[in-house]
Amino acid sequence: MKALTKLIALCALTLSLFVSNNANATTFTFTAIPDEDESQLRTRFEKVALYLEKELGVEVKYIPVKSYSAAVTAFRNNQVQLAWFGGLSGVQARKLVPGSKAIAQGYEDQFFKSYFIAHYSTGLAMSDSFPDISQKTFTFGSKGSTSGRLMPQYYIEQHLEKKPQQAFKRVGFSGDHSRTIAQVQAGAYQVGAVNYKVWESALAAGKIDTNKVKVIWETPAYPDYQWTIRSGVNAQFGEGFADKVQAVLLNMNNPELLKSFPRSSFVNADNKDFEPVLTVAKKIGLID
Amino acid sequence: MITIDKLNLHYDRTAGYNTGKKTGKNKASTQVIFDLSLTISEGEKVAIIGPSGAGKSSLLHHLYQTLQNRAALCSQRQGLVDNLSIYHNIFMGALARHHWLFNLVNLIRPFKQDLNNITALCQQLELDQPLTKKVDKLSGGQRQRVALARALYQQQDIFIGDEPFSALDPLMTSRLLESVLAQHNSVIMVMHDRELAMSAFDRVIALDKGRLVFDSKQQHVDQQQITKLFQTSAVA
Amino acid sequence: MPQLQQVKNTHYPLGYWQKVTVLIWLIALLIIPFADIEIVNFDPLLELTLMAQGLMAPDFFATEYLFQAVIQTINFAIIGVCLGLVLGAPLALIYQHPIVSSCCAFFRAIHEIFWALLFLQIFGLSPMTGILAITIPFAATFARVFHDIINQSSDSPLESIDSRADIISRFTYGKIAQVLPQLMAYTRYRFECALRSSAVLGFIGMPTLGFYMETAFRQGNYNEGAALLIIFVTLIGTISYWCPPKLMMVYFIIACLTLVDIPAVDSSLLVRFISQDILPPALVNVGTFAEVQWASLTTWFTDLLVEQAIPGGIATITLALLALAATHVVTLNAHALASRQLWPTPLTWLGQLILLIGRSVPEYILAFIFLMLLGPSMLPAVIALAIHNGCVIAYLAVKQSNAIAPQQMQMSKFNQFNYHIMPNIYPNMMALLFYRFEIIVRETAVFGILGIMTLGFYIDSNFSEIRYSNALVLITCTALLNVAIDILSRRLLKFPKSSQTRC
Repeated sequence: MKALTKLIALCALTLSLFVSNNANATTFTFTAIPDEDESQLRTRFEKVALYLEKELGVEVKYIPVKSYSAAVTAFRNNQVQLAWFGGLSGVQARKLVPGSKAIAQGYEDQFFKSYFIAHYSTGLAMSDSFPDISQKTFTFGSKGSTSGRLMPQYYIEQHLEKKPQQAFKRVGFSGDHSRTIAQVQAGAYQVGAVNYKVWESALAAGKIDTNKVKVIWETPAYPDYQWTIRSGVNAQFGEGFADKVQAVLLNMNNPELLKSFPRSSFVNADNKDFEPVLTVAKKIGLID
Repeated sequence: MITIDKLNLHYDRTAGYNTGKKTGKNKASTQVIFDLSLTISEGEKVAIIGPSGAGKSSLLHHLYQTLQNRAALCSQRQGLVDNLSIYHNIFMGALARHHWLFNLVNLIRPFKQDLNNITALCQQLELDQPLTKKVDKLSGGQRQRVALARALYQQQDIFIGDEPFSALDPLMTSRLLESVLAQHNSVIMVMHDRELAMSAFDRVIALDKGRLVFDSKQQHVDQQQITKLFQTSAVA
Repeated sequence: MPQLQQVKNTHYPLGYWQKVTVLIWLIALLIIPFADIEIVNFDPLLELTLMAQGLMAPDFFATEYLFQAVIQTINFAIIGVCLGLVLGAPLALIYQHPIVSSCCAFFRAIHEIFWALLFLQIFGLSPMTGILAITIPFAATFARVFHDIINQSSDSPLESIDSRADIISRFTYGKIAQVLPQLMAYTRYRFECALRSSAVLGFIGMPTLGFYMETAFRQGNYNEGAALLIIFVTLIGTISYWCPPKLMMVYFIIACLTLVDIPAVDSSLLVRFISQDILPPALVNVGTFAEVQWASLTTWFTDLLVEQAIPGGIATITLALLALAATHVVTLNAHALASRQLWPTPLTWLGQLILLIGRSVPEYILAFIFLMLLGPSMLPAVIALAIHNGCVIAYLAVKQSNAIAPQQMQMSKFNQFNYHIMPNIYPNMMALLFYRFEIIVRETAVFGILGIMTLGFYIDSNFSEIRYSNALVLITCTALLNVAIDILSRRLLKFPKSSQTRC
């Protein structure tokens, strides 16, 4: 009989855990997916959380997510109040939660660009005009990426005047910029589109054999990554909280923290800065 | 107690059980009992004999179905659950006496009262195996006695048995038969052993090819008649 | 000497299972010309070397919070299976009802990943998402298999139970007690499946091993990836040592206690999901029935069907049929590799290890590896499905064939294997293969996320474009396709009823 009592007590305890263990409403939560090197996400971004906690005076928590769409969902459901979004996901998130604001962007993000890269067997070389890549095999990065998908697809549709599915022999989504480089380098795809920063750092790290794969074109500049804060944080964390967060982000100058994103510094941003991304997304049918 | 009048039974080969349908035009079924009339009264001890395929088991199952609420059945198929212990297999006889919750708890942890009763019952049936033993580890004779014990443990008025001693030696058979007869008001039993049937029961009825051949209540029967019955049947 | 009569053109008809085998292969050969299975990789050597190096030097310390990930993987699996049992076991009792069985078939047909993507919208990145994503399809599977097992049990114990006993007592003593070992064995097997599912849910963000595994492979950190795979395979290979059935309840309680925090469920999210997100664009913000723009609704639906559902469906079926034939080959070979009837026992351990690896490594990772080696066509997915499912079937078949007593006849092991063992287990092996076909069709979905254009690809795209209504329509299409295939294959084939045909 004693065992039975113990069991019931344990069950009750478990149930109470389910009920009471709700996330603390006063915790300020954020998420971020860097455009390169997703290893050790928590270890790296918990340092950022620590910095924010110290500067903001509220409890700050970091939640790792797997994809831009997951980040958008978490933002929309108020599971995170602040997010480091790509250009496209930021626009999507702000559309879903009216009143949310882009408050800071990376210095580099003001004039971001994508590279088109090609396998040596295509015989394509670097040029200023849009290369002749129709009927090649082509890979984008992840489906929700601005630099790996949205912008490249826009320029493809502009220049080839066809949807990628019709313009190319085969279209793929590698899922990640470093995968795009690896797959084009291996010849699995003839051409690919990649975030220029990822390319530059992979090149610097000696991961790229330029005899096998090279840049053949670069897109015009566009705005990309930014910090977006959810509407309603002022009500939840006190008047002027959004401005405080903005100031804290802009003042973040510890190189170790900045390396996680990786950006040289953060500069001011505004929802208007990302109008071009929204227009492009609407044009290629990613946003209604 | 029970009266049947002009009974016709069909054996459904596909389903594997009796159907009481009067018009058996179904190809899959064969008729096993023809126009059988019989009355068994309270307190009688009846043995049913007959060559194999005579329809004894079918008749017995029909009787059981009619008397279900008052009778315990010990069928040839035994219906033992191999994964359960001797104790639980016997306890199954007492399911109707307890609440389902009691039965469920008993499945996990046997209750003392039933444990004592069943130990006594096993001793009576000369079943000297540990009660916790799974029945799939038992010999044919032991299994038969577990099935018998389950029927006894139902503690009913009427015992209906289908050759419940076929795997036991003659001495044990007569000992166990005696206690079965003593513990029940009425007994209806298909017997393999003709002599034992004649000596131990008040009344013997014989079936052949689905028909009632004779009934010791209505006519005097001697050993020769019975031997003849089995011989002609064997020739046919 | 009597002359043997010369018979010309003796007709020796094919047996039933021979015909089925030939049919599988004929279908596969017929669709090969239309399937996209070319090898398009100039230079896989570089990546292959990197992978091999990773495997040679696995880095067990590269993953942060590794222990937590292992614990959460187990927690999701245990809680998912237990809740699945609680829901599924009662359903098994009323499974004969057509509504129950078709609902179960429908729920089963939707892959855990899609369940998780749906629940993600309601519960967010909460453990609830992962647990429910396992619970629902598992409950539906339990309902079906338990129903089958109970149905195959004998009725004779019921006969000798007093008919006045209540239904619960009669059922537990007369039926359940008979088949309890089979039910337990199946539950144990499903626990292994749940561990795999739990890991796979990491691919979309649950905090399990899959979370880190996917990142490691995607980013080319093969040292880390190899270490995670080794941990995962070991975890599955040693289940019987660390999770004996008796301790299941204890583990369940521990799992509940050590689960990551469950954030509050916001009911408004559920309302929003049902009243807005999953409605077609033409129906959102429509007040009354009269305001519905039927024309735009129809265009939306036909566009979705023509541009996504139909091409996706065709690719799914093509992939599944090719994978079925390939699985057949892998099964036969893998079974021969690990059969005790063919090799001395120490050698079969090696075979068993190969089977363990083959069935434990998630298909997604297998496909990923072959994608790097063979290039982006359907081929990597076919191979990944064949290896995974072939090893599962072979694992079950080896259990069965090892139990067969060898013939007391003078013949070589090889002849013994071909003339005694194989004829004995082949029908069951084929039944398992067709049972797995249902699972192959669901699993094609996972490859959509890797970029192979099955229905899963379009579903994943719609989720990333935040078009939940489209995703829901496509998920329904996937489920209906699965149900249709299931009904069709049941109609066409007759299975040995009494054999163990579950996996």
